[in-house]
Amino acid sequence: MDAQLAEVRALEAEIAALRRACEEPRAAGEDSWRAQKSLREMYQSDSEGWASSKDLRSHLGHLESELRFLSTLTGISIRNYSMKTEDLTNTEKKEKSIMKVLQRHRLSGNCRMITFQLEFQILEIQNKESLSSVITDLNIIMEPTEYSELSEFVSRAEERRDLLMFFRSLHFFVEWCEYRKRTFEHFKEKYPAAVHLPEGAASSCMAVRSTCQPGFELVIVWRVQIDEEGKVLPKLDLLPKAPQQALKLDRNRVLETAPLSFRALLGTLGIEAALESLIKSLCTADYD
Amino acid sequence: MEWANDGKTRGGVLAHLERLEIQVNRSRKNLEDLQRAQAVESALGTKIHKLRCLRDELRAEAKQRQARVKASTVNVEPDQTPEISEQEVAKRRKENVKAILQAYRFTGLSGKLTSRGVCVCISTAFEGNLLDSYFIDLVIQKPLRIHHHSIPVFIPLEELSAKYLQTNIQHFLFCLCEYLNAYAGRKYQADRLQSDFAAFLAGPLRRNSLCNLLSFTYKVEPRGQSFPFCARLLYKDLTTALPTDVTVTYQGTDALSSSWEEQRASHENLFFSKPLHQVFTSFARKGEKLDMSLVS
Repeated sequence: MDAQLAEVRALEAEIAALRRACEEPRAAGEDSWRAQKSLREMYQSDSEGWASSKDLRSHLGHLESELRFLSTLTGISIRNYSMKTEDLTNTEKKEKSIMKVLQRHRLSGNCRMITFQLEFQILEIQNKESLSSVITDLNIIMEPTEYSELSEFVSRAEERRDLLMFFRSLHFFVEWCEYRKRTFEHFKEKYPAAVHLPEGAASSCMAVRSTCQPGFELVIVWRVQIDEEGKVLPKLDLLPKAPQQALKLDRNRVLETAPLSFRALLGTLGIEAALESLIKSLCTADYD
Repeated sequence: MEWANDGKTRGGVLAHLERLEIQVNRSRKNLEDLQRAQAVESALGTKIHKLRCLRDELRAEAKQRQARVKASTVNVEPDQTPEISEQEVAKRRKENVKAILQAYRFTGLSGKLTSRGVCVCISTAFEGNLLDSYFIDLVIQKPLRIHHHSIPVFIPLEELSAKYLQTNIQHFLFCLCEYLNAYAGRKYQADRLQSDFAAFLAGPLRRNSLCNLLSFTYKVEPRGQSFPFCARLLYKDLTTALPTDVTVTYQGTDALSSSWEEQRASHENLFFSKPLHQVFTSFARKGEKLDMSLVS
């Protein structure tokens, strides 16, 4: 019975302590809010306080300029990011020396004209010898989807959970698309009568027509492809168009072999020079 | 008990009865005491039980409050706090910007501004495995130059910087990123082959520091005694993690039959198209399947 009485006393004491604990946070919260208010008042009146808030603002300014710099340097602008961590460490004795943490990341931003939204998970396992970090899940949402070449690439990147390859290839893809646009615009400007961009400068084709020889048209299709390994390569093709009579007169089969010859030309002169020579050859009459 | 057979017999019986009565009374008292004690004990028992329940309830409530307080300090909702100071806004924006700066490492390129310019950090990964990172410290002057770096000597840094550093720094960095990631991928494959599939190799894996030339002698079945194949993998394109040249030769002691030739040719294809350690994983799996078929 003594033991029981002792237990009763112990329980009553614990209950009293718990009751106090349940009431405390509210009071603590109130206190901190009151303290915060007074700090704010202090900052508003005290000159020293003013300086320290300036410090905060200048520090923020420095960080924001660092962010702008990084965004310009990489060409990738991250607008939003958040992360949640979940501790998966198994508390059983056997695996106590192994720590497992699952991180859930959310990232969104844009790379020039392409905006992306990513959600991925990283599993970090720390054991006695090493720390390993593995991406265990990757979800990519991209727009605009007018670049059809990208959708296949995105699913491949998701499958391989290769986040870094996604960004690297994205950069090179965008770089090539912009180069293509600049090149098309350059030729349109230089040969306004001959060069036509039926789908705009951002598209993949450029048509070259001779003003004095209507009916002849050379269409250059310039695709930017991303291969299995994430390598970005330009692929150019020539589609010649000529009236039937011209085909009959073409004994040397120049038109037939044009696509192949174009490939060879690309190899020797490079893209810009090859396109230039093509335009010039079609329009020699116009520009002589 | 002896009955005295004398004139005092009557007194003896009475005395005896008296004694019995006292005994009964005592027992009854004892019993009553016992019952009272038991009642008190059981009341105590009930009380203890009630107190325990109350204590457990309070414990749970206290835990909930703690969790709520913790959660609320992590996700402060600006709309709910009555007066939010400029301080708070700036502080939160600062935390957000800091987090975004950290997140750049997932793009492969991240960095910090330095007094001279910028220190760029290049991260590498292969198929979801995050690997080493390297840094390159750039001085922003005319001309742009590299102050110092941790890029391995066999990566063509001078070549790349001569071509692109002055004209297109973004292209320079991403090219470097390509080379480093490809190297990290090749190294990862070679390391995994050595560590996970040592049983399939005769002797060590021969490799160079750039990990673009590998040669090894191997077998396909874990139980086999001989190592019938010898492979040589060359990765001419330093920006890829798959070989450009693969030669598999048959070295077995049996005569080169069509089945060996078939295997040899299919292995060559495998090495071209799949990462090295994955090829061996498929060998191991086939071996398991074979074992299972033997057993059943």
